[in-house]
Amino acid sequence: MLFAKECRKISGSLVFWIYCIIIALMFLTQYFSDCTEREYPPSPGRSAGDYDFKPSGDHDTIIEGTVNSLINDYYSNKYICYPLGFYKAVHLKDKDQEKIEAYITEITGLDHDKLAEIKNNCEEYYVSDGVHEYKEYKAEHIDVDTDNISYDRFREIISDIDSILGGGSDYAPESAEYNFSMIPMTYEDALEEYNELFEKDGIAGAYARLFSDYLGIVLGIMPVFVAIAIAAADRRSRMDQLIFSRSISSFRLVFTRYAALITMMFIPVLTEIIASVIQLLVIYNGESVAVEKMLGIPVFWLLPNLMVSAALGMLLTEMFSGGTAIVVQFAVWFMSIMRGGTVLSGNIRKFTLVCRHNTLYNRAQFMLHKNDFIFNRTFYFIASLAAVAVTAFVFEMKRGGRFNGIRLFGKDGILRRKA
Amino acid sequence: MSFLFGGDNMNNCIEIKNVNKFYGKKQALFDIDLTIEQGMFGLLGRNGAGKTTLMKTLAALHQKKSGEITVCGLPIEKAKDIRAITGYLPQEFSMYPNMKTDEALDYLGALSGVPANERKKKVTALLRRVNLIDHRHKKVKELSGGMKRRLGIAQALIHDPKVLIVDEPTAGLDPEERIRFRNLLCEVAEDRIVILSTHIVGDIEATCEQIAIMDEGKVLWRGTVSSLLENARGHIYTANVEKRFLPQIKREFIVTGMIAQSDYTTVRIVSDAEPDLPNVVLTEPDLEGAYMYCLHSSGCDISGGEE
Repeated sequence: MLFAKECRKISGSLVFWIYCIIIALMFLTQYFSDCTEREYPPSPGRSAGDYDFKPSGDHDTIIEGTVNSLINDYYSNKYICYPLGFYKAVHLKDKDQEKIEAYITEITGLDHDKLAEIKNNCEEYYVSDGVHEYKEYKAEHIDVDTDNISYDRFREIISDIDSILGGGSDYAPESAEYNFSMIPMTYEDALEEYNELFEKDGIAGAYARLFSDYLGIVLGIMPVFVAIAIAAADRRSRMDQLIFSRSISSFRLVFTRYAALITMMFIPVLTEIIASVIQLLVIYNGESVAVEKMLGIPVFWLLPNLMVSAALGMLLTEMFSGGTAIVVQFAVWFMSIMRGGTVLSGNIRKFTLVCRHNTLYNRAQFMLHKNDFIFNRTFYFIASLAAVAVTAFVFEMKRGGRFNGIRLFGKDGILRRKA
Repeated sequence: MSFLFGGDNMNNCIEIKNVNKFYGKKQALFDIDLTIEQGMFGLLGRNGAGKTTLMKTLAALHQKKSGEITVCGLPIEKAKDIRAITGYLPQEFSMYPNMKTDEALDYLGALSGVPANERKKKVTALLRRVNLIDHRHKKVKELSGGMKRRLGIAQALIHDPKVLIVDEPTAGLDPEERIRFRNLLCEVAEDRIVILSTHIVGDIEATCEQIAIMDEGKVLWRGTVSSLLENARGHIYTANVEKRFLPQIKREFIVTGMIAQSDYTTVRIVSDAEPDLPNVVLTEPDLEGAYMYCLHSSGCDISGGEE
């Protein structure tokens, strides 16, 4: 059976074993070692800030938190942004500062003079970056009358502010809605969340999300290396002409190879899922653990990551080269990881390749994005199959001498020729 | 399958009519016309003559620009059907280095659609036929160049093709391996079409009766080896010359051989007219001389020999 032969071929690849080791290391160092003890209920009688925080989703809280942060940044003319995940302190020109001031006035009703007055009463301190010293301001908390502005208009304003700042700021609507809606949990909140772990998640659901969060990071990039190694093996072994001259259809060959890649690369993930189930059954001995969630959620969550990475690796290797596939996949993965900035929980959008939910709790936040999550995973599943179909088409073109691949780099690369 | 191939007369021949092929703007094949029947067929030509391009076109690995090709009655456009009846051994090839010899053969058999129950028997039989049965468990990377070539023939025969296309199969082989390989080709040509492309005249001489000579994408000659020899009759001479005249003779004539004697050298010359040299004798043409005469009479620049 061709599928079994392809699987065997993959098992003989050094890159595949390196992939297995990296997946195992990620699992052992991040997830397995963190989940060696069971979760215990919160102790009563502590002050609200001692428990965790939770996103309230309350519009008034979001508006007030956002504006208070914005006013301090505006006075200091220093806005911290993370475009593509990298720290950047943005200092605006006067014209842009005026726009920010106008927005603050629109939201708060505070005019230029009033804002100047508040600034005069601010706490001032100096921050050095090693070369320059900057004066920064910390204003007293300002109460905002949120009846003056609709929430939709507020979203428009902060979206525009984020654009003025060049993106990646705390004022991007999704970031603001998360960062500035946090409120301290009460004991009751903390207890409710703890109870959800047992009642709604059946224990395993929460652990499955955490497991998928960690594994999703490596499965968004590592499979591309194995896919490239397998896709380029024919050419590297000078076997491509022998393969091209066989009677097997390109679609059957490419899809069989893809199926073998996915199967082989999912085996270590499945092994780790089984190890996680055993670990859960041990640490929650006597509790009712919904084992099916630990099996189902990671498969639905992680398989699309693996499929996309492998499909893109195969397609770009056939069309261009392995190097191009690595560069493109790394860019997709990196932007997906960094786009969420510091939001590690509930960072799930329609087209985020690497979905994040780096906690056992906060189930409500995850469920808030449930529809996006289902759309996201289905989209990447279908997109992977479409990419494999295109790979098969490119393979067919190559074996018939109608296309020889496009080399971007190297001796005959078009980029080098242009240079 | 006979309904696929038409009548019996069509079953065992390849017909190539006015075939042209371009690489971008550069024309690689010019109006190729050939009929190739069962048995060994030699395609002789210098490097860059277009042999590999023609071979790949016949194996449905390249597309022609115009003209018609039918392989055993099948138009070349039916690539999948053509691949099912064609075995191809490319000029440069290898296999997954870490696969065992029998595994590699089995894998390629699977890609050719040979059923699993037949494959095992065929792999054993073919490895025995190409004298690799004792090396079946060796990894491909451990095989010598000659062994790899024999494995190459075995892979091309795994699906029992009606047509076998072998491109420069003996390049780089030592004389013993070369002879073994030629004999193997002759054996397999008993019941199928075998097209052997080479620039080594000795390979053709030892194996083929029907040949075509190509140069710069054109067919210069097609026919039997004996007719090629006959064509050169009266144009091959030998002469005994002093060694000091050799550079001048090489400049003025097409020299196909030299045998150094004690105080002179016997040179073999291709010429339209009798050369004005001492002791010049008209001699029986050999295939190498006949091939050189064919190139010369077709207007090819052959000063300096092969590129």
